[in-house]
Amino acid sequence: MTDSTESPDLQRRSGLRRLKEGTYGGFFAACAAVTLLTTVAIFVTLLSDAVVFFSEVPIAEFLTSTNWSPNPAGGGQSFGIVPLLIGTIVVTVTAAFIALPTGTLTAIYLSEYATPNARSILKPLLEILAGIPTVVYGYFALVYVTPALKATLFPEISTFNALSASIMVGIMTIPMVSSISEDAMSAVPDDLRQAGYGLGATKFEVSTGIVVPASISGIASSYILAVSRAIGETMIVVVAMGAQARMPAVGETLFGIPYFNPADVLLDSGMTITVAMVQIAGGDLTGGTIPYDSMFALGLALFVVTLVMNVLSDIIAERYREEY
Amino acid sequence: MATDDSNAAGFGEVSRVRGIAFEYLSLGASVAGLVALGVLLVYVAIDAFDLANASPEWLLTYFLTLVVPFLLFCLYSAGDPAVTRRVAGVLGGGLVVVAAAFAAIEAFVVTIPRLSWQLAYLFVVVAPTTAYLAYVGSRGRVGAVGFGLLGRLVGGVAIGLAVGTLFLVFDELVWFLAYTLGVLPAAALYAYGSRRAANRAVTAAIPVGLVGLVAAVFLRGVVGTYPSDLIIYLWTLAVPIAAVGAFLVDARGSRVGAAVVGGVPLALATAGGFLAGSVGLPGPTTLIVIALTGVPTAVYVHRVIDGGDGVVGLGLPLLIGGGVLVGALVVEAWGVPAPDPWLDPGYVTEAPSRTAAEAGLYPAIVGSVIIIALVAVLSFVLGVGTSVFLEEYTAGSGVVGSLTRLLQINIANLAAIPSVVYGLLGLGLFANLLGFGYGTAVTASLTLSLLILPITIISAQEAIRSVPDDLRRGSDAMGATRWQTTKNVVLPEAFPGILTGTILALGRAIGETAPLIMIGAATTVFSAPTSLFSRFSAMPMQIYAWAGFPQADFRYGVVAAGVITLLIILVGMNGTAILLRNRAERGN
Repeated sequence: MTDSTESPDLQRRSGLRRLKEGTYGGFFAACAAVTLLTTVAIFVTLLSDAVVFFSEVPIAEFLTSTNWSPNPAGGGQSFGIVPLLIGTIVVTVTAAFIALPTGTLTAIYLSEYATPNARSILKPLLEILAGIPTVVYGYFALVYVTPALKATLFPEISTFNALSASIMVGIMTIPMVSSISEDAMSAVPDDLRQAGYGLGATKFEVSTGIVVPASISGIASSYILAVSRAIGETMIVVVAMGAQARMPAVGETLFGIPYFNPADVLLDSGMTITVAMVQIAGGDLTGGTIPYDSMFALGLALFVVTLVMNVLSDIIAERYREEY
Repeated sequence: MATDDSNAAGFGEVSRVRGIAFEYLSLGASVAGLVALGVLLVYVAIDAFDLANASPEWLLTYFLTLVVPFLLFCLYSAGDPAVTRRVAGVLGGGLVVVAAAFAAIEAFVVTIPRLSWQLAYLFVVVAPTTAYLAYVGSRGRVGAVGFGLLGRLVGGVAIGLAVGTLFLVFDELVWFLAYTLGVLPAAALYAYGSRRAANRAVTAAIPVGLVGLVAAVFLRGVVGTYPSDLIIYLWTLAVPIAAVGAFLVDARGSRVGAAVVGGVPLALATAGGFLAGSVGLPGPTTLIVIALTGVPTAVYVHRVIDGGDGVVGLGLPLLIGGGVLVGALVVEAWGVPAPDPWLDPGYVTEAPSRTAAEAGLYPAIVGSVIIIALVAVLSFVLGVGTSVFLEEYTAGSGVVGSLTRLLQINIANLAAIPSVVYGLLGLGLFANLLGFGYGTAVTASLTLSLLILPITIISAQEAIRSVPDDLRRGSDAMGATRWQTTKNVVLPEAFPGILTGTILALGRAIGETAPLIMIGAATTVFSAPTSLFSRFSAMPMQIYAWAGFPQADFRYGVVAAGVITLLIILVGMNGTAILLRNRAERGN
């Protein structure tokens, strides 16, 4: 390199050199401190405005009210998170139905069946799925997937609907599941596989009966991360799902357990927590109003949920990992 | 064994059906998402380029003038009869299969909208074959030379346009003073010091440069007269680039070559800059683009000709340029009906409009370029700093060790926070509390920098970790301090990896929309921004805004063109990152 000019400093003169060393060390430490400050800043920013919000709207009302209408112009203001939660859960669950099985099968294929050549092609290609900007996925859902669904399976689907958004969220999260699960499956030692073959198991039995159980903690943590990603996903649902906070018609089953028809929610427009935030941000940013503060309350809810899920995923991956 | 096979009926007989079915099921699952995305990309490309209205003659013309010569070039470079046979078989067989399958689906299942069998053939057979052949061809010397030249031309133009765009918001007069007073003397001192082994000169370079930069900011208001923009760019950009190019060639021992490599692009850039105005192009940007494209190209051409290997490959740009030209002439001469693509030069140089036909993406592209440039600087500095701290400066045990672990967990958690929450951070902290304003470039780039910081740090850490410990210990044994080891050994070794990770992270930042909405970025601005504190739009914001328009022309035309523009830029960035990584891996 360039160090041919620097003769070794055998005396270790202090002074300027020590100052120089200290300056650089301090600079790097300051950079590292930024990451810590970011977390603190996120928490403080969210909390300070959320506290203001909860002094206006009681937490109990926020958590139980079934009506979300932050706009003061349209009659009564109401801040109930329940319809948003229903929207978020429906999108997340539907996306999980796509991403989790597909991602797991992909991981099994990559780790057990694929030739090294096929794997070296498939893995980067799968990463592309996670690299496409989410607004592009949202556009695809709105402009191509919804008309296709309307023309084939669901003629009664509305222009903005939860189903096409969920499909796209699912496709986007496939590589999350597959890459983390595949890492876990590849970490299963070959001895276990060979032992299985030695007992006369087929490749299918080894894959599903030995490799998957042995890597179950990694798979579970990948599921949690993917779900947490789906919960926080914004642009796909903003573009494709519309912005109507609706409560689905709640029926009651035989035993008095309330339920709603998934088709009601999936084929119609709806609103998730993230959509509600974006909708407020698109209109009113002046600060000091209740809708402005409500954004931070929603952000706090989102932050806490995803943080808990990440920590949970870490704990599962650490605690239940089989050490070989 | 033989004694108790009475109670093991069927032992050793295993049904293979289940296993085979499972293998194909998992293979299907692996490609399902990719196929879905592929179909969607095909449709968005058809919409953006109006290929649904392309006549078969038009497709055939360009297929013959553009695609076939390119394939032949790659085949020539590969020089492998087996590959040639395989490609001919795939192209010929694919034609029959796709046409038959298409006709069958149309006849018996459903009509496929906006897709003809010719287009299906192009997308399903020709495009993958071309990609495969480009890969095979690039491994031959001729192909490597051709793609190397093409890459320098395209990359030079892209970087030149980006640099030209940056000067829309950065004051070129400050840059002029800073370059003349700070950068130039510092670089001269550094070069002198390293050549003559004068340590003092090298050490003095940084303070001299800093003093020059500060002086430039102060003198900006004092100095009254400045040279014209063209002279400034010529002096601060074109001349130094040409000098570096000439120096590189000179170092290989060719005086004449050095003069040509430095002089010709410089003359071309000067001429281009002064003449551009007369054909309606912006002079300064033309000058920057020609300089940034010409010098690396000239250096590369000189190296190839000097080496004498694969010189034929230098004809690839001519082949492609000629193909486009001939195709256009044929289309013009025979009156072949041509499609009217939404993504055309007007689209990327004009402002948004209420009518779909006139709508353009220009202000949003400028916004994106400026935001990404700032994010690149911020996240690179912070990311490298943090990863060096975590990898080189902290101990594994004790209080510092647990602090390091805390930082590490914190970074992993930051990576998983939804981007919309970062938007709230930007809104609350940067826009409101610190007063950088709603939707300004400064707020946007600070927010996006923090958003991609965890990804940058994690990839930079991996790059630094992959530097062998022997090198560090060797440096330590020579009496180097920690900073000297980091600067002289670790960072140069890890640099390609760090750069790759940063570019990939920037690809994430360029497509982010939710944080920009949260900080109040404009969905539509009608003129390019003039300062860092003016209201900005960005490509994804504009796409988001247009996607909400109900008119079909916007939904299927204008937005599709925007999506394709965004994806082309993304592919370019990620492709650069992957090339850098491959080159670094080969170097090791």
